Amino acid sequence: MSLLGDLISNLFRKPGTVLFPAENLPVPECFRGRIRITEDKCIGCSRCALVCPSQCILMVPDQKEIEVKGRKITRKKRPRVKVLRCIRCGLCEDACPSEAIHLTREFSVSGTVCETEEM
Amino acid sequence: MDPLLLVLYILLFPGILFLLVYALFLEYVDRKILARMQNRVGPPLLQPLADLVKMLGKEVIDPRGVDRGAFDAAPLLAFASVVTAFLYIPVVGTSPLSFEGDLVLVLYLLTIPTVILFLMGWLSRNVYSTVGGVRAVTQLFIYEVPFFLALLLPAMMAGSWNISTIVQWQQGHLWFAVLQPIGFVIAIIGLQAKLERTPFDIPEAETEIVAGPWTELTGRRLAVLHLAMDISLVVGSGLVAALFLGGPLLPWDLGNAWLNGVAGFLLFLVKTLAILLVLVTFKAATGRIRIDQLNDIGWKYIAGAALIQAAGVLILSAWWVST
Amino acid sequence: MARVIVPVGPQHPALKEPVNFRIIAEGETIVGLELDVSYNHRGIEKAAEQRDFTRVVPLLERICGICSHSHGTAFVKGIEEIMAIAVPPRAEYIRTIIAELERIHSHLLWLGVAAHEIGWNTLFMWTWRDREAVQDILEEISGNRVNYGMNIVGGVRRDITPELNKAALDRLPALEAQIAGYVELLKKQETVLLRFQGVGRLTREQALTYGTVGPTARSSGVEYDIRRDDPYCAYAEVPWDVVTDTHGDVYGKTIVRIGELRESVRIVRYCLEHLPEGDITVKAPRNAPTGHALSRYEAPRGELSHYIRTNGTDKADRLDVRTPTLANWTSVAASLVNQNLADIPVIIAAIDPCLSCTSRLTVLNPQRTSSTEMTWEDLRRRARELNRERERC
Repeated sequence: MSLLGDLISNLFRKPGTVLFPAENLPVPECFRGRIRITEDKCIGCSRCALVCPSQCILMVPDQKEIEVKGRKITRKKRPRVKVLRCIRCGLCEDACPSEAIHLTREFSVSGTVCETEEM
Repeated sequence: MDPLLLVLYILLFPGILFLLVYALFLEYVDRKILARMQNRVGPPLLQPLADLVKMLGKEVIDPRGVDRGAFDAAPLLAFASVVTAFLYIPVVGTSPLSFEGDLVLVLYLLTIPTVILFLMGWLSRNVYSTVGGVRAVTQLFIYEVPFFLALLLPAMMAGSWNISTIVQWQQGHLWFAVLQPIGFVIAIIGLQAKLERTPFDIPEAETEIVAGPWTELTGRRLAVLHLAMDISLVVGSGLVAALFLGGPLLPWDLGNAWLNGVAGFLLFLVKTLAILLVLVTFKAATGRIRIDQLNDIGWKYIAGAALIQAAGVLILSAWWVST
Repeated sequence: MARVIVPVGPQHPALKEPVNFRIIAEGETIVGLELDVSYNHRGIEKAAEQRDFTRVVPLLERICGICSHSHGTAFVKGIEEIMAIAVPPRAEYIRTIIAELERIHSHLLWLGVAAHEIGWNTLFMWTWRDREAVQDILEEISGNRVNYGMNIVGGVRRDITPELNKAALDRLPALEAQIAGYVELLKKQETVLLRFQGVGRLTREQALTYGTVGPTARSSGVEYDIRRDDPYCAYAEVPWDVVTDTHGDVYGKTIVRIGELRESVRIVRYCLEHLPEGDITVKAPRNAPTGHALSRYEAPRGELSHYIRTNGTDKADRLDVRTPTLANWTSVAASLVNQNLADIPVIIAAIDPCLSCTSRLTVLNPQRTSSTEMTWEDLRRRARELNRERERC
């Protein structure tokens, strides 16, 4: 690599910058993004809340009949997530027995109040 | 020359108005080319103007214990001196203000911004500024001698201290870049040092002394001094283009005064941009050296090379006269 | 000549994190240095003692942004040692791959920073551009660009599928070509040679006296690499060489780091090509037996050690993290002596300091009247008091 040659040839090459938000880097399949909860699947077991390192998942009372693997059960709680506190480690996803909580590929979440809660 | 035309020349074209536009444009080209060489996108066209307007509108902060009058005046003085220097640079044909000895005046006026930087460093009452100011003036003593020597050699050969005459001399003979290649290289290096660009950005070394003399400058002071530096780039590259690359004069006559003028102007643009390209490449390819290393290199090699070039010019001139 | 004290930091453009140097200078020459490194105490060790082994790993990854995998691996390695569980070979290989990719991106980052410190921003931009390729591989494998979250006690959390393996292998040749380019570039580039050669020299004796680790020690001719001397993960099975140099100056450190870039690419390629089949995790017990372990790990900056003490619960009783930067700090004070003031940034950057990871102690007093320094005697007295308190309860 000759330095001068590289400098000059870079003039005629496309810059390496990705101009977000006009362009986007490809988001890989396994990307750990914002948490989403499929409410119909949640059995209210609280495992996600227990395993969460940043304690961003809070279980709130919510009685509901749901069907899991052909069986009908009544759950008593459901999780609420403080999305901006989430560190996206994915441990809740690993812990969930019913695949109700998962990390999506959405990477941009912003806000100003760190306690913002959402389902 | 008609007084009205002279006023137009000084104020509009190719005087102050053109100079401002062109200085901002050259800053844009400088930043853009550097960015592209580094594989970045770089600023949009009007970014230097936007920066200037923004800085003009910003609050001016006075560091404690600073002499406000001097602090306000110093950037204006630098600005005024480089703008004045530009009036003697041939842009379209020869400069109407030229006189015997204007080369010395231009060199003198070009030195003022550096001295102002030194002054700002002392006025700021800040340790980084002071160190930067001392470095600026130390550096001045190192590069100024070979730089002046290199720029005065064309005058010696052309037998005139008038920039316009030197340009006309080249019209009839060869470019001085060909006749004095070492001098040309030294002039480019000296210009890089004068403009405090890498590898000679020792006075404003960001990682060492924050921004050197610029540290305490805010608002319009920063804007004006920054603009003065941009204008020095135009004046410097215009001067080197005039002294070494034949300036804005075509080697042949196009028959029409207007046509000659336009072609000359385009030549000025092309030549200054070419010099800028060399300067940017130089900047992109090097890191910053230390002041003691610059001292060694400057006095051992650059000054030595300038002296050799001077000897060469004397011999060449003597031979020229004898034949 | 009169001695002046030049303060550098805690806020200074050459420093990306807060640290305070009081540099004693005679003219332009440095004669002494006093350091204050503890500006960023985050109480992370104490926080780690209150989380169980699953939840503590993401916390420890956040000790350092650049070597996040190092901290995670060092901790789980220690816990696995206490629990006496054997991690499946595939998990060991995946840990090695992530660790070496992390080393590549850390060293590329360092190269850029070092170039920036001497004002050569072109190399800075180029290395950071090429670093993107490494981070893309990491993102594809782990799902994140910085905190990979790969470790768990008993293995790794994500597998490298054949597609990912191929995608990563495909990216390596371009990276290797770029690294080879930098080797050529740095050997020739005049200003780099001027600013790096002979600057901040640390002799072999000094390197040993001050207990330097990692590239800082290896550039002074000390052949010391935890990956070879106390192999962990898959390093014992992978063919690779320890890179050393005898210059001892900033240039030597550059040579060592560039050499390690090449070795790391080699290790990553070998591991990807020879990835063993099998599980990626074993079931770890919930509680660790009472015991203690000193887990050593070769982070990009040098030897990182986690001392872990457990007491039969699912939490660590005590965690003590010794980051490589802490080991290398004192050598900076030695290598700065008799150097030029202008060389401060590059000499400091040469050990690749990571400051907020280093801060392990803070002394608080509400009146803020005394200084925050503790002498050796103070520390010993404090340790004795703490021990007595423990024994009483």
